Amino acid sequence: MASLFKDPSKLSAYRDRKFPGSQEDFEHALQTSITVYVGNMSFYTTEEQVYELFSRAGEIKKIIMGLDKNTKTPCGFCFVLYYSRDDAEDAVKYISGTILDDRPIRVDFDWGFQEGRQWGRGRSGGQVRDEYRTDYDPARGGYGKLVQRELEVQRQLVDYGGGSLGSFPPVMPPQYGRHGRSHGHGGSYRRDYQRKRHRDDDGHGYETSKRTSDHESRRISDHDSRLEKNPRFRESGDSDDDEEDDRKRRS
Amino acid sequence: MSSWKNLLLRIGDKSHEYGASTDFKDHIETCFSSLRRELEHSEKDILDFLVQCVEQLPHKIPLYGTLVGLMNLENEDFVRKLVENTQTNLQDALDSGNCNRIRILMRFLTVLMCSKVLQPSSLVVAFETLLSSAATTVDEEKGNPSWQACADFYITCILSCLPWGGAELVEQVPEEIERVMVGVEAYLSIRRHASDRGLSFFEDDDEAKNGLGEKDFLEDLWSRIQDLSNNGWKLDSVPRPHLSFEAQLVSGKSHEFGPISCPEQPHSPSTLSGITHGKQRHEAELKYPQRIRRLNIFPASKAEDLQPIDWFIVEEYLLDVLFFFNGCRKECAAFMVGLPVPFRYEYLMAETIFSQLLLLPQPPFRPMYYTLVIIDLCKALPGAFPAVVAGAVRALFEKIADLDMECRTRLILWFSHHLSNFQFIWPWEEWAYVLDLPKWAPQRVFVQEVLEREVRLSYWDKVKQSVENAPGLEELLPPKGGPNFRFSVDGDTERTEQHALSVDLSNMVKGRAAAREIISWIEESLFPVHGLEVTLKVVLQTFLDIGSKSFTHLITVLERYGQVIAKICPDQDKQVMLIDEVGYYWKNNAQMAAIAIDRMMGYRLISNLAIVRWVFSPENIEQFHTSDHPWEVLRNTVSKTYNRISDLRKEISSLQNGIVSTEEAATKAKAELEAAEAKLTLVDGEPVLGENPMRLNRLKMRAEKAKEEEVSIRESLEAKEALLARAIDENEALFVALYKNFSNVLTERLPDASRAGTLWELKSVRADSMSVDLEEPSAMEVDNENERQQKSQSNGGRTSSDGYNIGEKEQWCLSTLGYVKAFSRQYASEIWLYIEKLDAEVLTENVHPLFRKAVYCGLRRPIN
Repeated sequence: MASLFKDPSKLSAYRDRKFPGSQEDFEHALQTSITVYVGNMSFYTTEEQVYELFSRAGEIKKIIMGLDKNTKTPCGFCFVLYYSRDDAEDAVKYISGTILDDRPIRVDFDWGFQEGRQWGRGRSGGQVRDEYRTDYDPARGGYGKLVQRELEVQRQLVDYGGGSLGSFPPVMPPQYGRHGRSHGHGGSYRRDYQRKRHRDDDGHGYETSKRTSDHESRRISDHDSRLEKNPRFRESGDSDDDEEDDRKRRS
Repeated sequence: MSSWKNLLLRIGDKSHEYGASTDFKDHIETCFSSLRRELEHSEKDILDFLVQCVEQLPHKIPLYGTLVGLMNLENEDFVRKLVENTQTNLQDALDSGNCNRIRILMRFLTVLMCSKVLQPSSLVVAFETLLSSAATTVDEEKGNPSWQACADFYITCILSCLPWGGAELVEQVPEEIERVMVGVEAYLSIRRHASDRGLSFFEDDDEAKNGLGEKDFLEDLWSRIQDLSNNGWKLDSVPRPHLSFEAQLVSGKSHEFGPISCPEQPHSPSTLSGITHGKQRHEAELKYPQRIRRLNIFPASKAEDLQPIDWFIVEEYLLDVLFFFNGCRKECAAFMVGLPVPFRYEYLMAETIFSQLLLLPQPPFRPMYYTLVIIDLCKALPGAFPAVVAGAVRALFEKIADLDMECRTRLILWFSHHLSNFQFIWPWEEWAYVLDLPKWAPQRVFVQEVLEREVRLSYWDKVKQSVENAPGLEELLPPKGGPNFRFSVDGDTERTEQHALSVDLSNMVKGRAAAREIISWIEESLFPVHGLEVTLKVVLQTFLDIGSKSFTHLITVLERYGQVIAKICPDQDKQVMLIDEVGYYWKNNAQMAAIAIDRMMGYRLISNLAIVRWVFSPENIEQFHTSDHPWEVLRNTVSKTYNRISDLRKEISSLQNGIVSTEEAATKAKAELEAAEAKLTLVDGEPVLGENPMRLNRLKMRAEKAKEEEVSIRESLEAKEALLARAIDENEALFVALYKNFSNVLTERLPDASRAGTLWELKSVRADSMSVDLEEPSAMEVDNENERQQKSQSNGGRTSSDGYNIGEKEQWCLSTLGYVKAFSRQYASEIWLYIEKLDAEVLTENVHPLFRKAVYCGLRRPIN
């Protein structure tokens, strides 16, 4: 409707590298798609919660939860299929950036679900973003996988005594709720999310080029040192607006 | 984006493009000097972009108008083009009935007149064109009064231009503008008072307003404009930047504005029956809807104390921002809070947004859009807006007993969603008293339904936690939501033979048995031994249990074994039994019950008629006034049926477009082929079959292919049309069944028509039986004010002594009638198609007057 600030034909600056076609095909797929991708979900969010929220944009045909390859449990994303394009557009317009289960979720057009896309593309089975995350996000399995491994190593060195990873003090002790969800500090865990959009990550997560692995190890050591200095290693003060800025700059 | 574009876009805003300055004069000068430099080599770009800005940022029109005035001094030719362009756009908008564009371009013309770009008399000519079209429309002889909605819209356009240029017009062309005003007044005297009947937010208003006192939207605007005129056209909400440049602007050349014309309205039908009139009026109101209806929820002491005209203009600004910035969250919120007016307007803003969220028959956008806007405004104005929103919620809650059913549902969905975005924080203790109200009291039901939706968006423990400050409210939470499996093998329930059968079936499913294997197992060992009822129970319960883990599990089991269910439940009776099993299995989880029923209808395992029958079964009827569950199922069913129809209509219309283009292609290919053939026969006068047989062949192939395509499109069009015809029949049957059921249950329960001919009488049935002094209802209808006070006492919900004093039976009737109206209104366009049949089969002479009233009200059909 308003063409002054937003070019309606620019749908997403993100490219799924597993899309089997040209950039034009990709854009066409996004422009006609009735599927939306939902990201930054809590691992504990159920299909029925998704249904309740997304059916407010229109009749839902299907929901496909993103699952961890190894554990076959939800790993923080899903696909919602509508019957009509208008409904999918409304979902993107009105739900993206709002809260579901205490988290600001992201909703984008998706080029269409295919068998296999329900699995996390990260090395450890979940989403790639959860490999590298350095924050403690109890609704997404605690620390990122790499940090978890790093902590494991450290613990063995220092010998903290028995107990699994779970005995590490969480950054924000859960006040209430099931499964140690995080509460009442919406936004602060989003830092990593904004710096790096995970759908990009999904694309090159498994690439084994030299550059990527260099990059990875650099990041790890970086996290490592930050971790030692300050176990919280998080800054607060992000808002949704930053994200939109980011989006506009990219497009 | 180039800098002149940014300057145009951001003019009048607090933005870095304009540095620290907030003075409109500075902005205009800065922007003008930038445009002047660019005008020579980007004339076309500037023109296009300027027009876009005008049309999408209408609250900045005075600034743009002044800019154009200044450009007129530099480059008359450019401005002439702009005026011509505006004329073309306005004509297009009139022809296509694009209301917002018509209104905004008229405002732009007014402002151009202020900046000396346009002769005042040309503007008056445009006004008179609209006026005369409007006057013709409402003329019984020459026009078609069913289209008054359009005529009213034209007059609204004229009147809403005046705040922008009334002062100038009166000064420069006093006689001509006076003539227009007299014309408007004459129009107002011949048109009919537009009743909001069926579209008011509050039930009371629907009854009370009948012609008495209340001004309709246009009458109200007229009085605001008269006040403005009496006040010397002084107002605060419209910036008048052209005054700062008056000395320069006077030397500009005024341009001609070409004539515009209004499209003719469809002719009056030759037989002016009530039905054809009603249908046409419905169509006209869809095309030219009233933009806003005012909620008036805030007491005058709280809301901003503004001149009525300023109130109207800020409403216009807000509605335009909401309209043009749908989908642009950041800009929408920024423009909403940063309007160019020198006063605060949070209450007005909240009123406007809520009145859109609740607008009947439907808001311009999906209700969820307004949820998002409210969230963003709470974030943008954290100190001011949340409190105003809470105030609106409280005000609506106070009046909830009178709130229209559709509005109630929207309010519940909005509020639960809103709270889920703000950590579910709400001072529930304020409403703890609803526990003392009877279980049918609308306030209590509202709290219960909000909590239900919160649980669906979140989870039970979390919502329980959120009502900790009013622990009693826990009682209103839905059950914790697990399944209720008849053949559960946990615990110490006795295991029957049926348990064993269920385990057998479950094992077959786990062993991935095919549907036909299960069917033959049923046919061999289940049905012949145990009969239908047990078969149905075992199979349905077991399948539901297998599909109980999630929505996807449910879909999977239905997709794989749907034919098993279809085999057991081939007819309506058995399908109703089937739905009963769903209700039993999910009795603790309304959401899953509704989803399961919806999906089964999707797979055509159950028909919409079976669902209607189930909704009107005794257990559900009992809940009509205490729960939303049966209504949710009914809403889903009707909307699914309707969605099928509207999808088919869309497909058909795109196929029809396809036919036109394939026809053209086929004709063209054929012509080319014939031309080629004709040409070839003439070569050297000899009958050679082509010096270029390759080309001929190619053309032949192409012609054949085009023909084939045309034929295949025609075939699929025919197929779709057949499907549509079937869907429309289904829909007709659905509405007939729905209304018959409504009529039956209401007739059984409504007091005799002589005792309850109006809703108000219905409400006072119980009060009457207790009070000694019976007032004459006819006396009350005359004394409107008095009647309202009476009503707010009798149904406002909370009175300290006896709580909610409407009896259970009366509330049941009120709720059900409310839903009758809501369904009729929401699907009015469809229902008008079947109205003759409904009249013959349902709305007969002996139908209860209150039921008839509810239906007619929803359809906005005159009652007599």
